Amino acid sequence: MTETITRVFWSWNPVAVSGLALWIAGILWMMPGGVVTAAKTRIPGLLFTVAGLVLVLSSFGGAIGELSEELMFWVFAIAALLCGTLMITSRNPVYAALWFALATLSTCGLFMLQSAPFLAAATVIVYAGAVIVTFLFVIMLAQQSGAAGYDQTAGGTLPATLASFLLLGAVFYLVNTTAPEVRRVAPLADSLRLTASAENAVAAGEAAGGGASLQAVPVEEILAQEQRDSEQPAVQPNLLSRATESHPVGSMKGLGRSLFGDYLFAVELAGTILLIACIGAIAVAPRREEGAI
Amino acid sequence: MEIPTMIDASNGLTSIPPQDLRTLVVGAALFAIGTIGFLTRRNLILLILCAELMLHGVSLSLVTFGKLQNNNEGQAFTIFLLTIAACEAGLALALVLSLYRSARSLDIRLWTELRETDVPVAPLEPAAPAAGSSYGDIPRLTPAGTQPAHVPRRPAAKK
Repeated sequence: MTETITRVFWSWNPVAVSGLALWIAGILWMMPGGVVTAAKTRIPGLLFTVAGLVLVLSSFGGAIGELSEELMFWVFAIAALLCGTLMITSRNPVYAALWFALATLSTCGLFMLQSAPFLAAATVIVYAGAVIVTFLFVIMLAQQSGAAGYDQTAGGTLPATLASFLLLGAVFYLVNTTAPEVRRVAPLADSLRLTASAENAVAAGEAAGGGASLQAVPVEEILAQEQRDSEQPAVQPNLLSRATESHPVGSMKGLGRSLFGDYLFAVELAGTILLIACIGAIAVAPRREEGAI
Repeated sequence: MEIPTMIDASNGLTSIPPQDLRTLVVGAALFAIGTIGFLTRRNLILLILCAELMLHGVSLSLVTFGKLQNNNEGQAFTIFLLTIAACEAGLALALVLSLYRSARSLDIRLWTELRETDVPVAPLEPAAPAAGSSYGDIPRLTPAGTQPAHVPRRPAAKK
């Protein structure tokens, strides 16, 4: 047990550990009512946080890709984490909401880099367009007199920060150890035409005129083939969600096939949940005859 | 019927590209700072915002996992997550408004009835500080003339 802990500890990247420590120092410095309560300025905490973020992210570096992509990643990643840190340490809830909006926009930039343009647009519309406005509305409704006393202090800063960063360190360790052995799956070939069963495959082949370029393949056959190839159970049976060569991950057609093919019932359920939540919110919210807010 | 193989390397195992690895790291870090904010801050609305920050971290990880597996499921899950987050924000804000109406405050420490009996209660501040004092120097008009006599407002007419 002790040996394992020592091994884990020493196998850690010292750059990552020192970066995490700097970041903790920055959070503790800036947190209202935290360890450094007498601090008048937040600038040192800000510098600690930026330095820690740079160290942490650079310790997971590796081969540098295309320069523009690399630059975009650094800008968006540091902006997201810095805005998140400033959000949780802000003494004014209105500023916290605005920092959250910035963190959301930076996350959308990362979505874009991870080839999810539709998701980036949807997140901007839903969060920056609707959620933030609602939050700001409620803050201004409930705190008309300005800054409140409970925003100037925070409880249990040190144990909460240490616990969260312990969790984060564990996740980093796991990511680092499992990163070399991830099973990667290639996109489906365009010549495949998926059908639900073998009879349908024959019918589809006849309909296509036999020697057509499309190859009608029943789903079970692909799964069985994959299982033979990989000596592992098939990754997942939802073949409509798999990216194809002409429609890579994140393309509108691929995403639509996944949502309205494999997950059609889930989409209907999500709509129902939205309706129920809407009814619930109207029922819970204060009514006019019960008095003003 | 020959089916093209869909597994990349000889054993199907490769290492994560550094871009995806670092995006996973950013997702985990967003989740961690959301946790810190949720555990430490006392404003009810800030708590919900911190939960949304944690959801952002999860979305980022899901999108990256989907990209790693050449699969649209990660993004489909994130769209569901977005839906649930919208529901959560609406319901939570309605609940917060109800709580605010009964306590006239957004302080989470006012709501400690459901705690374990042996957990100590954190102390509350005696009173809110003077309004506007923490926003710095706000220009104010000098008072002019005498203060008019206070006239009690008439009760509103019954409908």
